[in-house]
Amino acid sequence: MALIRVDHVDKSFPTRHGSIAIMQEITFDVRDADFLAIVGPSGCGKSSLLRLIQGLDRPTRGTIYFRDRPVEGVARGMAMVFQNFALFPWLTINQNVAFGLEALGWPPEKIGAQVERYISVTGLEGFEEAYPREISGGMRQRVGLARALAVEPEVLLMDEPFSALDPLTAEGLREEVLQLWRDPQLPPEAVLLVTHNIEEAIQLADRVVVLSRRPGHVLAEVVIDLPRPRDRKSPAFYELTDRVYSLITEGGTVASQGTASNGEGGRPG
Amino acid sequence: MPQGLKVRHPTEPPRVAEARTTVRSRPSARVSAVLYAAVPLGVVTLAATGVVLSPGRVLGYLPTASLDVLYSFVRMVAAYALALVFALAYGYYAAARRGGERVMIPILDILQSVPILGFFPVVIVLLVNLTGSSGPYAFLGPNLASVVLIFTSMAWNMVFGVYESLKTLPTELREASDTFQLHGWLRFRRVLFPATINRLVYNSVLSWTGGWFFLVEAEIFTTNGRALAGIGSFLSFSAAKPNANAFAAGLVMLVLVIVALDFLVWRPLGRWAERFRYDQVPSGEGDLSMDRDPSGRIRRAASFVTRGVRTGVTRISTPFVQLATIRRSPTRRGAAAVPRAWTNYVALGGILVLGWLMLIAIIVAIYQVFSGPILPAVRLQILQVPEAMGASILRVAIAYALCLAIALPLAVAIARSSRASRTGLPAIEVIASFPATALFPVIIFGLSRYLTPQGVALLMLMTGMIWYLFFNLLAGARSLAPDLEEAARSFGLRGRGFLRRVLLPSLFPALVTGSVTAFGGGWNTLIVAEYLSVNGVQSLNVLGIGQMIDIGYAEAGGIPLMVTALLTLVVSVIVINELLWKPLYRRAVERFRYD
Repeated sequence: MALIRVDHVDKSFPTRHGSIAIMQEITFDVRDADFLAIVGPSGCGKSSLLRLIQGLDRPTRGTIYFRDRPVEGVARGMAMVFQNFALFPWLTINQNVAFGLEALGWPPEKIGAQVERYISVTGLEGFEEAYPREISGGMRQRVGLARALAVEPEVLLMDEPFSALDPLTAEGLREEVLQLWRDPQLPPEAVLLVTHNIEEAIQLADRVVVLSRRPGHVLAEVVIDLPRPRDRKSPAFYELTDRVYSLITEGGTVASQGTASNGEGGRPG
Repeated sequence: MPQGLKVRHPTEPPRVAEARTTVRSRPSARVSAVLYAAVPLGVVTLAATGVVLSPGRVLGYLPTASLDVLYSFVRMVAAYALALVFALAYGYYAAARRGGERVMIPILDILQSVPILGFFPVVIVLLVNLTGSSGPYAFLGPNLASVVLIFTSMAWNMVFGVYESLKTLPTELREASDTFQLHGWLRFRRVLFPATINRLVYNSVLSWTGGWFFLVEAEIFTTNGRALAGIGSFLSFSAAKPNANAFAAGLVMLVLVIVALDFLVWRPLGRWAERFRYDQVPSGEGDLSMDRDPSGRIRRAASFVTRGVRTGVTRISTPFVQLATIRRSPTRRGAAAVPRAWTNYVALGGILVLGWLMLIAIIVAIYQVFSGPILPAVRLQILQVPEAMGASILRVAIAYALCLAIALPLAVAIARSSRASRTGLPAIEVIASFPATALFPVIIFGLSRYLTPQGVALLMLMTGMIWYLFFNLLAGARSLAPDLEEAARSFGLRGRGFLRRVLLPSLFPALVTGSVTAFGGGWNTLIVAEYLSVNGVQSLNVLGIGQMIDIGYAEAGGIPLMVTALLTLVVSVIVINELLWKPLYRRAVERFRYD
C-alpha cells in the first residue's frame, strides 16, 4: 500500500510577470518502510514538493494522498526536518524537542518522558538546558531530528537536512538516520529525503526520484538495490551516481552537455 | 511581500552575510559609565570652583528637582505602559491579518510622519475642556495630554518593531510551528511573543530616549502657569529666573535618572533579549564568543540600527512600492513608469492641498457658528500662515544642511577608524541619550546675548535633528558589505574613488532614512524652537509655523489660528514626504540596496 501518493501534481507561483511553473505532472509513491530520495538541480521544486506533501502549501493541480486521504492543510503523521534546523532560539533544547508534543496537548509528565527518550536516541544527553545558539550545527540538526521523531511520525520528511553541515558531521549523521529508520522500535515508517547531493541520495535511499530542471518533472525513478552498508567507492555505486548525474544534466535541457558514456541510462520501474 | 511571491531556491546557501561586519570595535560599558559620570561631576566641579555655582545651593535644590523628576518619570512610565500594550496588539494584528496590513501599516506610516508635537496644544485644549480648567480634576487635563503626547512619541516605533519581527520571522521557523500545528495561545506564547521581544527591547530604548525629549518639551511648553510640574518646567523656570544653581541641580537629577535606567533596566534587559534574536544565527559552529562578549551595547546598537535601516527602508517604502507595482501594468515597466509615477505624486499633492483648504474653511465656519466671529488680529495672523510655513521649511532645510555637513564626515570617520569608534562613539552615544530639549532653556536664555533669535532657533533645530542623521549614516557606513569593500580593495580603489564609487553609494539608503527621520525630528522641534515665553517674559519669537501654533495656543481666541497652522504643518509634511522622500526611498531600495 502506498503511504503517500503524489498524483499528477503541478505547482506554479504568481509573479509580476505572470505565473512561473515550478513543477509539472509529478507522480510517485512513498511505500511502507520506504526510504525515498528526491534529487534534482537547484530550483526544480524539490523543497516546494516536500511542503506540498506536508500540507504547508497546496498544489496548483493534482492531489496528494496520505494513507489514501487527500492532504488538505497540515497533515498529522508527518514531521519535517529543516535545512537550516528551524530551531527556536529562545527555547532550550528540551523545550524545542517538546515543541510538537505541546501542540498535541500531551500532559507534561508524558512530554517529559518522551523528550528524554528522544534526547537519548539522538545522543543529545547533557545539552537539555542549552540554547540552540550554544551548540554546533551537527548538534542542532540532531535537535531538529529529535523534535520531529518525538511526535512519532509515520513519515519523516527531510529537507536537505545535511547540506548546512560540514562533510564529516553530515556523514556521521547520515549513518544515524539510517539506523533510526531501520530500527523497528522507532517511529518513522518511511523517510522522504530531498537533496541535491546525488551521492547522498544513492547512499541512503531505496529508490531515487530524479527531477528535471524547472519546471520540474519526474525524469526517472531509480531503484538502488546495493546492499547496505554501501561503499561509495564501489564500481556499482559509481555507476549509479553517474547514471543519475547524466539524467539530470541531459534530461532537463535541450542542449546535451555530452558527458558520461552511459548517458542514455535505463529507466527502471 | 506576500509569501506566495517567493520562489524557493532550496540550494541557497545559509545566510551568513552579517557575521563579519559587526565585530569591529567593542568599547566597554566602562567607557560610557565614565562618560555618564562626567556630566554630574562636571557640574559639581563647576559648582566647586564657584564660577557661577555654589555647591551648597545646588545640593539644596536637589530635593525639589528630584521630586519634579519623579513626576516626569511617572508620566513616562504611564505612557510607556500604554505604548507597550498598544504596540503588541496593533503590531500583531497588522502582521497576522492580511487585510489589516494593507490598511493598518499605511495609517501608521502617516501617523509617524506627522509632527506629533504640533497636536499637543490641541490635545491640551481638548482635554482641559473636558476636565475643566479649575476644580478637582483640573490637574488631569494637562497631565493626560502630556501622557498622550509621550505615548505617541513612543508607540509607532514599537509597533513597527512588533510588526517587523513577526513579518521577518524566518519562513522555516514559521513552517516548523505550522508543521506541529501550534495554534492560539500556545502559538503566541511559544513563537510569536518571543519573536518580538528582541526588537521590542531595542525599540523601547529608542522610545524612552524620544520620550524624554518630548516630555521635557511638553513641560517647557506648558511652563506658562506651570501646568505640569516636572523636570522640564523646573529647568525652564530655573533658566528664566535665571538661577544657575537650580538649573544645575535639575540637570544632575535628570542625568542620574537616565543613567540609572540605562544601567539598571536597559542593559540587563538587552542582554536578556539577546536570547530572542532569531536572525543572524549562523549555521555551523556555535557562536558563543559573540554572545559572551559583555560589552555588546554599541555593537548591538549598531547592528540594530543597521537592521533598522534595512527594514526601515523596506518598510516605509513598502506601501509605496506596492502601490507602484499595482499601478504598473506588467508589460510597461522601466522608463515609461517613471513619469507616470510622478504625475501620481503631483495628483496626490494636489488632493492633499485641496483637502487642506477645505478643512480650514470648515474649521473657520464651525468656529464662526459656535464661538462667534474670528478676531481681526487673529484673522491677520491666519493670513500669515503660508509665509510662516515657508520660513519654517527654509529653517529646517538650512538646519538639515548644517547637520549633514557635520554628521557625514563624522560618521564616515568614526565608522572607518576602529580607534575613533572605540573612544568617540561612546561619547556621542552618551550625549545623544540626553534629551536635547533639557538644554533649550539655557540655549535660549544663555546664548541669546551672542546669537540672533534666528541663530538660536537654528541651533535648537539642529540639536533635534542631528542624531537621526548621524546614527543612520554611521550604521550605513559600518554595514558596508565586506565583500564589496574587499572587491574595491583588490581592484586598488582607494581614496576619493573609493568614496565616490563605493562608500557614498552604499550610504545612500542610510542617508535617505536619516534624512527623513531628521526632518521628522525637525518638524517636532519647531514647536519650541521658534517661540517661548516663560511667565509672560517673551524670550524667543521668530516667524514660523511653530510660532503660529504657539501663539494660537497662548492668545485669546487663537484656536482657529492654532488649528490652521497645525493643519498647514501636517499637510506640508505629508506633501514633502510624498513628493521628496518616498521617491528617494524607492530609488534607494531599487538601486542601492545590497544584500
